[in-house]
Amino acid sequence: MSAFWSAWVMFLIVLNLGITLFLFLWGQRVEIPTRADGTSGHVWAHGVLREGVRRLPLWWVLLSASMFVAGFAYLALYPGFGRSRGLLGWTSHDELAAATQRNDAVLGDRMQRYSLYPIEELARDGGATRMGHVLFEDNCAACHGREATGNPLLGAPNLADNDWLYGGDGKAIMTSILDGRHGVMPPWASLGEDNVVSLANYVLSLSGAAHDDARAAQGKALFATCAACHGAEGKGNPALGAPNLTDNIWLYGGDLASVEESIRHGRGGVMPAWRARLGENDARVIAAWIYSLSHGNAGSGAPAAAR
Amino acid sequence: MARGYKYFEAIEKHAGLLAVLTAIMVSIGGLAEITPMFMEANKVQPAAGVLPYDALRLAGRDIYVREGCYLCHSQMIRALRFETQRYGHYSVASESVYDRPFQWGSKRTGPDLARVGGKYSDVWQRLHLQDPRKVVPDSNMPGYPWLEKTPLDAADIQARMRVLRMLGDPYVDADIAGAPAALAGKNELDALVAYLQGLGVKNEPAAAAAPAGDGGTP
Repeated sequence: MSAFWSAWVMFLIVLNLGITLFLFLWGQRVEIPTRADGTSGHVWAHGVLREGVRRLPLWWVLLSASMFVAGFAYLALYPGFGRSRGLLGWTSHDELAAATQRNDAVLGDRMQRYSLYPIEELARDGGATRMGHVLFEDNCAACHGREATGNPLLGAPNLADNDWLYGGDGKAIMTSILDGRHGVMPPWASLGEDNVVSLANYVLSLSGAAHDDARAAQGKALFATCAACHGAEGKGNPALGAPNLTDNIWLYGGDLASVEESIRHGRGGVMPAWRARLGENDARVIAAWIYSLSHGNAGSGAPAAAR
Repeated sequence: MARGYKYFEAIEKHAGLLAVLTAIMVSIGGLAEITPMFMEANKVQPAAGVLPYDALRLAGRDIYVREGCYLCHSQMIRALRFETQRYGHYSVASESVYDRPFQWGSKRTGPDLARVGGKYSDVWQRLHLQDPRKVVPDSNMPGYPWLEKTPLDAADIQARMRVLRMLGDPYVDADIAGAPAALAGKNELDALVAYLQGLGVKNEPAAAAAPAGDGGTP
């Protein structure tokens, strides 16, 4: 704030408080001409209502006086009087820093202990997984659902079924959370619609789903194109995030139309990177909760942190 | 002191004078709080990485305003621990210099969006705008299915860019001339998703770059 506008604000404050303080002090001392009957002579409703003259009640005077005291004290202690920073030197940014520090202190010991254990062990700690579940609902549930069962509209995988695109150990889960993943299934419409249908039937046959045998046989020959990522047997490749096609678990739906769509137009599932938003500590407890889902041991056993 | 009473009586008995003096007293607060920030608003410089909206994001911003997104979503992260922990660094004025009007808001039926860019994938944003229940079963946000069916009007966006340039946004001729190409084949949903995915992405101030007591807070 420039010196001019600082002076402008100071002037207005002095003017406002000056006028109101003057009225407060003067109003109690001014003598109001009073009639013999103790009224001011002002009448309404043809004399039925008359204006009495009384001193201000003490409680009102004291309350008003305390308002002035509070106002002056506020302007002295806190920023507000022009560019004055106030005697306390208070800023909202300092308050935020202090509040963050207090919170970190509360969580610090716990996070420190959690950091000593690998995700797989942390998943047996009820405190860590409870915290992870809350953070999951706040941050991850929008795509994966509240109970982490995924959303085929997005290709957001079910995280509770122990089927993993990029590997299911603690380290792989942490990498997925912190750095994100970008699944790339290229579009294969260029193969021709007939081949797409044949391939889709072959892919369905891999997991024993309902399919057309003749079509599947034709598709088998074409699968060499797909084997580069999904493997010759269609078992997938966690290094690429290429899904296993033989397990009857489907990211985008396992009916013929959905599989055809995946082949024809490709898929590009995106898991955003959460490193900047969550940080390592929060990601670890989320990973622990996710790991516990498919290992059936959330909260059971001795807490990792207590051992 | 009896003579002072005549001034009191003059004010009390003349409604016009009473109204004028009341208006003066009431306006002092506004003059002190609003005028300095209003007059010095032009001194706020854009934060590093804050550029004028490109044609597509500008179109998206106008759709955001048109659909009244601000009625439920704020774009201002307050300097409070539970806000910065959830949404990221608190918002500063220098991030909003190209927002006319700014979308800070104070009503949050939905979450703050100041730094929502990149939080979800593009596909999520598209599904969520068409029908929020597709991705968040208990959401009470309305769907906006018509956005995908409405093409963008490049000439309209060019006119908006020219007006913003008159107001001081540093668009160059090439930006405006390139708008039709940038908007070709795009619909309103594309524009709104581009706008949302850019929110707060490039302009989060480094913690060290935010000196206490500065950054637009009065």
